[in-house]
Amino acid sequence: MLEIKNLHANVDGREILKGLDLTLPTGEVHAIMGPNGSGKSTLAYVLAGNEDYEVTEGSIAWDGKDLTEMDPTERAVAGVFLAFQYPMEIPGVATMTFLRSAVNALRKARGEEELSTPDFLRLVKEKAKGLKIDIEMLRRPLNVGFSGGEKKRNEILQMTLLEPEICVLDETDSGLDIDALRIVADGVNALRTKKRSMLVITHYQRLLNYIVPDKVHVMADGRIARSGGPELALELEKSGYAEFGGKATAA
Amino acid sequence: MELSVHQFRSKAEQQLFDLFAQSAAALPGAANPFVSGLREQAIKTYGSLGLPHRRVEAWKYTDLRERIGDIGPLIGSGGARAGEAELEAAFGEGLAHLPAYRLVLVEGALRVELSDMSDLRAAGVEVGALAHMLEMPPAWLKETLGQVNPREDDAVLALNTALMTGGVALRLAEGVTLDKPIHIVHLDGTGAAASAFTRNVIVAETGASATVLESFGSLGLKGLLRNAVTEVKLGDKSAIQHVKLQREALETIHLNTWLANIATDARYNAFQLSVGAELARNQLYVGFDGEGSATDVSGATLARGKQHCDTTLIVEHRVPRCESRELYKLVLDDDARGIFQGKVIVLPDAQKTDGKQMAQALLLSETAEFDSKPELEIFADDVVCGHGATSGQIDEDLLFYLESRGLPEEQARALLIQAFVGEAFEVLDDETLRDAFAATAADWLGAPAE
Repeated sequence: MLEIKNLHANVDGREILKGLDLTLPTGEVHAIMGPNGSGKSTLAYVLAGNEDYEVTEGSIAWDGKDLTEMDPTERAVAGVFLAFQYPMEIPGVATMTFLRSAVNALRKARGEEELSTPDFLRLVKEKAKGLKIDIEMLRRPLNVGFSGGEKKRNEILQMTLLEPEICVLDETDSGLDIDALRIVADGVNALRTKKRSMLVITHYQRLLNYIVPDKVHVMADGRIARSGGPELALELEKSGYAEFGGKATAA
Repeated sequence: MELSVHQFRSKAEQQLFDLFAQSAAALPGAANPFVSGLREQAIKTYGSLGLPHRRVEAWKYTDLRERIGDIGPLIGSGGARAGEAELEAAFGEGLAHLPAYRLVLVEGALRVELSDMSDLRAAGVEVGALAHMLEMPPAWLKETLGQVNPREDDAVLALNTALMTGGVALRLAEGVTLDKPIHIVHLDGTGAAASAFTRNVIVAETGASATVLESFGSLGLKGLLRNAVTEVKLGDKSAIQHVKLQREALETIHLNTWLANIATDARYNAFQLSVGAELARNQLYVGFDGEGSATDVSGATLARGKQHCDTTLIVEHRVPRCESRELYKLVLDDDARGIFQGKVIVLPDAQKTDGKQMAQALLLSETAEFDSKPELEIFADDVVCGHGATSGQIDEDLLFYLESRGLPEEQARALLIQAFVGEAFEVLDDETLRDAFAATAADWLGAPAE
């Protein structure tokens, strides 16, 4: 269970999260919606441990462990995974090299044996197939020249390979056409298990047609303003975020 | 011999001059008028210039008069071992075992028993020890030695010509294409401080093509002054990929000059990776003498501690329609200093020149320093030329991305540094060579090789 209590966080000295409380039981998928600037992405970065985001108050506990005390690597080892809204491009690092380094770094840290190159290749091929990722794409430098859809599928591939326990998906639907969205959502759904919790951050309700959450939270001004079932997302679709400080247009 | 010399201002300056006076009679080719004439002219040039210092613009950042202390004697044959184990220790496994025609220079002289002379001859290459060939130089050597893009203002080059003792001379006959690289191995020796002056000459006749790798490593000699020169003459439609790995001991002063003349429709690609030596100066002088040719002069420097690595290149476009590219990457840690001086000269006749240059440094510490001095001298009006230089630190966003995937910070940094340098290796089209260089970079970083 992930328990966030009274979380305050600053970016460049400006407070973005202002006392956020959220409980995500193990095995559940929760959606976080909200207008632009409400702090959704900040929450994602804070969970992953980005040092540009300073936690000034509150706690993030997961199965009794205090995440705020851990650096990003330790969080990854503990099972936290952030699917980035804008995955980084790294020229000079082949995607495959990166994937193998990450998988083996985690295995090593968790006291498991590192995968040999042939074993790793077999694993990647199998997982990539489900996400309709061409192996040729993985020979290219990490995310360089990838289309928006390729980048997002690559994020989900990483999530699949690293087998995290808390998945935070930051606007994974942004920049995707309907076909890509379906592939990504199928990939995410395939990872839903009783042991894995997910936080799906999105501006639009559309993604939640494909990844149906157990609960929906609406964020506004750095806090959770309202929580409800999946029907809350549909309601927002009609009414928009006006009452949460967003523009009066439908979401 | 009558010489008008300027007043030498440092002990080393005088010692170098004396070194010539003492050894001239015993240098290879002393009895040959062509060779001794070259040497005498060269020592005159050195006498009038002295050692370069910071008030000489091209040596602004590398003051040899200040940096060079005592001059050791000419390196002699002490019978240092240079077997597979020594090669591996000096260059790493990948490069030591690179499938190649190997030519091994130890203690400044070619070791024929360690070299693939007969295989190379069978492949259509005339090859010999320079020391031997200087006694009675063949016509092609006489037409080349000291005449490839010569520079009258370079004291380091002049010293080499005056004192050259060993090296190899290669002639690739018309149309010869080699199936694997020629690997010229430069190793020092063992024992006390010494000076090595080696000279290689490569002539590629019409349509010939080859990759020539020059590697520089150490067997344990303390305090080597290395002055190595390679002249490359490229005939019409020839292609030479000229690659260097410099991994010499930290006590070494490494002075290296490559000179290349490019005829019509030919291609000269040079790439240098520098990781060793306390002070290194890499000079590359490339001149276009035939239309429709191209050159790519690129490289990478990895330096830490108090290492000082200066790369200075001049590309001269003398004829129309040639293309030059330069990409240099430097990774500098601790108090290391990296210098890149790149000059592109476009003479009035060289219309339709296309020249681009870029130098990028990654600074890993607050005290590392990168000096970049790009210069464009353009006398033609229909050209496309550009240059750029950047210097920066490791991108924290990229680091976070890698760490968030479970890579420990050190490993993530190493991967990003490898990526930065790796981009420069992409110009190497030989995959084994590229891998060997990547392994060298990984080794420098203390990271596992791919």
